[in-house]
Amino acid sequence: MRLERRLAWRNVWRNPRRTGLTLAATVFAVFLVVVFVAMGAGVHEKMIEDSVRIHSGHLQVSGEGYLEDRTLEQSVPFDARLDRAIRETEGVVGVAPRLVAFGLLSKGSATKGVALFGVDPEREPSVSTLPERLVRGQFLPAGATRPIVLAERLARSLGADVGDEILLYSVAYTLENAYDLFEVSGIIALPEPELDRTLAVIGLADAQAFFVYGDRVSEVAILASDADRIPAIHADLASALGSVAATPVEVHPWNEVMPELEQFIFIDDAGMYIMLVILVVVVAFGILNTILMSVLERTRELGVMLALGLPPSSIFRVVYLESMILAAVGLAVGLALALPVVLWFQGHPIPITGDAGNATAAFGFEPVVTFKLKPLNPLGSALTIFGVAALAALYPAIKASRARPVDALRSL
Amino acid sequence: MLEATDVTKVYDTRGVETRALDGVSLRVDAGEFTALAGPSGSGKTTLLNLFGALDAPTAGQLRLDDQQLDQLSSAQLARLRLQQLGFIFQAYNLIPVLSARENVEFVMELQGVPAAERRERALAVLHEVGLGEIADKRPLEMSGGQQQRVAVARAIVSNPRVVLADEPTANLDSKTAAALLDLMEEMNREHGVTFLFSTHDPMVIEKARRVVRLRDGRVVSDEQREAESA
Repeated sequence: MRLERRLAWRNVWRNPRRTGLTLAATVFAVFLVVVFVAMGAGVHEKMIEDSVRIHSGHLQVSGEGYLEDRTLEQSVPFDARLDRAIRETEGVVGVAPRLVAFGLLSKGSATKGVALFGVDPEREPSVSTLPERLVRGQFLPAGATRPIVLAERLARSLGADVGDEILLYSVAYTLENAYDLFEVSGIIALPEPELDRTLAVIGLADAQAFFVYGDRVSEVAILASDADRIPAIHADLASALGSVAATPVEVHPWNEVMPELEQFIFIDDAGMYIMLVILVVVVAFGILNTILMSVLERTRELGVMLALGLPPSSIFRVVYLESMILAAVGLAVGLALALPVVLWFQGHPIPITGDAGNATAAFGFEPVVTFKLKPLNPLGSALTIFGVAALAALYPAIKASRARPVDALRSL
Repeated sequence: MLEATDVTKVYDTRGVETRALDGVSLRVDAGEFTALAGPSGSGKTTLLNLFGALDAPTAGQLRLDDQQLDQLSSAQLARLRLQQLGFIFQAYNLIPVLSARENVEFVMELQGVPAAERRERALAVLHEVGLGEIADKRPLEMSGGQQQRVAVARAIVSNPRVVLADEPTANLDSKTAAALLDLMEEMNREHGVTFLFSTHDPMVIEKARRVVRLRDGRVVSDEQREAESA
């Protein structure tokens, strides 16, 4: 085996230019695979985080069938037992009960349909970034009488600003008309234009009183300590809440609440992986070509070794090892170059400016490119490229080992 | 020792049959210094390859001592080549990524000889063929004559029963060829190594103590000579 290793190592370097070119292609592929996978993971994780911190939370507890119909009838009685059961679930770091409904807001002659969020101002920051998006005034200050926070575009279209009184109309849980005056306490700016045109936020207690909803809520948004823990929390809550909730409830992870986001990420990932597969296949052919050329050039030399008594299995191992050395060196150098780049960008997101930035913001996402290095990325990239190289190496190795010494010796 | 009985070898190249050997019978005994002579296409390299267990005859029998070669598996033939035969080819016969010493050690390494003993024996043989100074050089750094001498050293270092040399002087100038022949003759005389070589080089034929002439795949003459004075 020592002889085989020595022969393989020296054979790899006997044509430095050809080996260098193959290595360069492998390094380039490894670099691109690691960087693109990290970028995909970072961008998608940021999309998910941006979305869950505005909309759903990582998980959501809601009444049976709420996701399909979203009516006030599908409510969750949010009592102390349910609250404690959710908060005490391992991995849960934030719990925010909400009442979500629709209504009309009027100021003067302007009237707009709105998505109304009734939130607990004390608990909402533990899950969402809505309070952080305040650009003027205060976010539902304690002691104020029926404060309301308007999204910026909505406020502009109503001609309303901090301190103005506006009228909210809707239909209560009792199916009676509900209307009351609210005072604008603050303006928030949301990246997603559609939401920025329609969102109004009031206190949860005011919302429950307005809709005659008692202690019920539409949904309970939950923030996990880590996105990776979502499946475990989901399973724990699904089994625990059945016996705690007064009426049947459902627990949904973010991807069930926002399936369109998951689909977008799937399609985006698919496009990226198709490109990376093409890249890896090109590298495999590069290695195959290099080793095959090298075997064809050495036909007589292999014949001499067979004639001298080197067994065909050793010839196979020598040629196979050559491919593996090429792949391993390419991987090592590629990872050594890619990992620092990814780690640097992980701490330094790249801002997207101009039209691309505006387009990103229009979808409700912060216009930055973020990177996230997960252990599976370099490991998976290494295993994939190594695996493909191992497959590509089989043909030249088998071809070399099947040579008959007399044919090989006649080849020149 | 080496014996061919009524050996025929037919090559089939895309349906065209070529009879390279046609009923050849020949016996080579231990200690011989024998040349297979003849023009190109006479069958001398084919016969050498058959004796070297590198190829199988179409008909007839080949024996090395009491072993009938056509009854051995490819693994047994590989072991036989490793343990009992030494080879010298025309050219390009050293492994380019190994130094002169490593080339000489190659067969011993396959035989499982311990590293220290390998090294000692390889250096001793290299000194014997006059190449002690270039033991660490690779083939590309050596002249053609030096490469063939390393090949001779590699062929004899593991004490094979017989060394088969296929036109060993074909790519050498006359002075280098003469020196190589002297070396092989010395190995034969001093160490009793049996040499069987194919050649059409008159100088080699002149040195041989037995000359078997082939033409169109048949033995046309078998001439025994007296050894030259030492």
